[in-house]
Amino acid sequence: MIFNSINYFFFLAITFVLYYLLADKFRWFLLLITSIVFYLIGSPIISFMVPVAIVLCTFFCGVLVEQATNPVRKKMVYLLGLFTNIGLLAFYKYINFFIQTTLESVELLKKLFGAKDATVHASLVLNILVPLGISYITFQAIGYLIEIHRGSYKAERNIGIFASYLMFFPKLFSGPIEPAQEFLPQVRQKHEFNYNQVVTGLKRILWGLFLKLVVANRLEIYTDAVFGNYTFHTGATLLVASFFFTIQIFADFAGYTDMAIGSAQIFGYKLMENFNTPFVAKSVTEFWRRWHISLSSWVNEYIYNPIVFSYRNWNKWGVVFAGMITFLILGFWHGPSWNFIFFGFLQGFILAVEFLSRKIRKRLRSKIPALLNDLLGIAFTFTYFTFSSIFFKANTLYDGFQILKRMFTIKGSIYYENPSIMIFSIIGILILLAFQIKEGYFNKNFSLFNNEKWFIRNLSYAILVIVILLIGVFDGGQFIYFKF
Amino acid sequence: MQPDFNRIKKRPVQFFVIKLLIFIAMVVVLDFAVGKILKYFYFKQQSGLQYRTTYSMETTTADILVFGASRANHHYRPDIFEEALPQYTFYNVGRDGNSIFYHYGVLKAILKRYTPKIVILDFEHVSLAKDETSYDRISSLLPYYESHPEIRSIVNLKSKYEKYKVWSKIYPFNSSILTIAIGNAELNKTRSNDIKGYVPLNKIWEKHLEYDTNTVIKNILDSNKIACYENFLKDCKERGNKVFVFVSPYYVKFKIPDFSVTKGQEIAKKYNVDFFDYTADSFFTSNRRLFADLVHLNDSGAKVYSKMVIQNIIDSKK
Repeated sequence: MIFNSINYFFFLAITFVLYYLLADKFRWFLLLITSIVFYLIGSPIISFMVPVAIVLCTFFCGVLVEQATNPVRKKMVYLLGLFTNIGLLAFYKYINFFIQTTLESVELLKKLFGAKDATVHASLVLNILVPLGISYITFQAIGYLIEIHRGSYKAERNIGIFASYLMFFPKLFSGPIEPAQEFLPQVRQKHEFNYNQVVTGLKRILWGLFLKLVVANRLEIYTDAVFGNYTFHTGATLLVASFFFTIQIFADFAGYTDMAIGSAQIFGYKLMENFNTPFVAKSVTEFWRRWHISLSSWVNEYIYNPIVFSYRNWNKWGVVFAGMITFLILGFWHGPSWNFIFFGFLQGFILAVEFLSRKIRKRLRSKIPALLNDLLGIAFTFTYFTFSSIFFKANTLYDGFQILKRMFTIKGSIYYENPSIMIFSIIGILILLAFQIKEGYFNKNFSLFNNEKWFIRNLSYAILVIVILLIGVFDGGQFIYFKF
Repeated sequence: MQPDFNRIKKRPVQFFVIKLLIFIAMVVVLDFAVGKILKYFYFKQQSGLQYRTTYSMETTTADILVFGASRANHHYRPDIFEEALPQYTFYNVGRDGNSIFYHYGVLKAILKRYTPKIVILDFEHVSLAKDETSYDRISSLLPYYESHPEIRSIVNLKSKYEKYKVWSKIYPFNSSILTIAIGNAELNKTRSNDIKGYVPLNKIWEKHLEYDTNTVIKNILDSNKIACYENFLKDCKERGNKVFVFVSPYYVKFKIPDFSVTKGQEIAKKYNVDFFDYTADSFFTSNRRLFADLVHLNDSGAKVYSKMVIQNIIDSKK
């Protein structure tokens, strides 16, 4: 069930009414049941067994790790829980990639050693259905186990409440990757109907819907048409499509996140923010502190910091090494293919460059006006992310390089099949960028959506609904991050 | 910022319900007003795609009608038809990018008003194959949902919620605001004006003949499309129209027969309808100058092809 479907709004409305009709002590249980229903709609029961296994394994390992007095036993149970989660994720999401890569490596080696017939396989693909949300569920489960093992968080003793943490439907398929220590205490809190919270949540859902239907889905028409047939398009078209894709992926994922946070909020739950106006970032390092924050925080806490600590003797090269490894994993997390790994590499590479050149850049910055410095930083960050996102969008690493090559070699005009697609796309982008700039720089100034006057505030949201009805794309596809 | 905290504290649910109802009322009023304005300007257009659909469904009384997508729109020249068959009037009701859902919807609206003498359906490769876009494009018929009950069953194929979505007065005109503005500003007349629904293409294709290798993957047939196609032929036959199905020429060599064309032929045979397939016609495949692109004839190609179509019709009448 996707968030921008009518089915979801029916589901949400029914759950909302039932939730506040029930006594407070049963509300978390209702959310657990509805989350299971949410998962099972559109997902075969066999796929559901995977999150069930993750919940059971993580819950019992968490309790046993906490109870264990023998350090060896504690470590063993901890590793069992960790490797079960990593194993399930690796098997369901990456097994075909590993098989193909191994076989291709064998072929390559045979060729290198001069074998006459180097072919060792035709095509071996295991027909496995990747369970929805597996990347998000396992990352939260792993984070939970690490915190228990570190002793910084107490293991949850109620399996139902623990299951409602991993399975909570607003964040089930695409996050945010919520730390247990932030979420679990909320389950035990009293959740009375709170007018302000419900209204803020509903407004957040509406804004998310706007981002998805008006901006992301509209841009998707253009980017899919161009990248899907990139061999027919000129460099200028590919360049425009690349910039559009950067905005599209932001609008798509930020739209999803707004809907997830808003949905949680109407039930009295607070999920962590995933974005903080990333397009006003003045460096790629800053960008990653503003983009997909829940994932960057997770990898920072559980991958980057431990590596930096382990390699502290390497001094600055330890930081560079940790950054590179972290971003390679982050790239690979997005999908089992080389283009995602390369996307991660590009992020790690530029972060290393920014880290190593920070003193020189600071000296240079002092010589140019602050505004110009900011603008140059923003432009560079946006452009760099746009170019690296080509590998995010491309089906293969080869396609990514071909798109880049064509971008700089094939001359010709910009493709637009239908002027209204281009015009509506630009309108959507301008609204989005205006909002980003306002949020980033003029947040305390006049606001329509947070106006003091009730009528103006609500009229602004009513107009937002009208804009969605007027230019939203209702036949658009799935959220991009659902596949991760 | 938040007014009257006491009232919210005392009865938050009631307060919420009242505010929600007021908000919904605001949206309904705005939706009604904007929707009515859009509707007024939509039906006021005098040129362009949307105008041609309105004209086809509500005004034309032509004796010969051509149905189909862009290939219908660009391949059947009215002057050639009216010259060869002077006793008949002609209108091309084809519309770019649409499928049998649209063609059948327009036919139903026309048959409600009058019975054309000759109906030509331009049939495309993979036109009966499963394809999400065909369902999305049913939205071309949404502005007529309210005034044309006969097309509702077709529009409802788009999604099970379509009948509720049209409660919104804006929704039928979703994404149409620019086209409506252009239609009212009559910019279409200077851009690509039509001649009785026919839109000529004046380019000449410069590249070599292509070989299609993708046909196999596009051949899972759609039962809704098959039903619409079958009903299209059946309704024409029942009303006593002469109906012909034509697959107009491509500048592509297809490696295997198209499943949709084979199915289309089979159904046409069942209803005793003449089916002409120009896919592999060597006259066209050896003459790239008659094409604007791989799948569309240019104006000269349309002239030659229209003459052949007329000859087929005359021959079959004998």
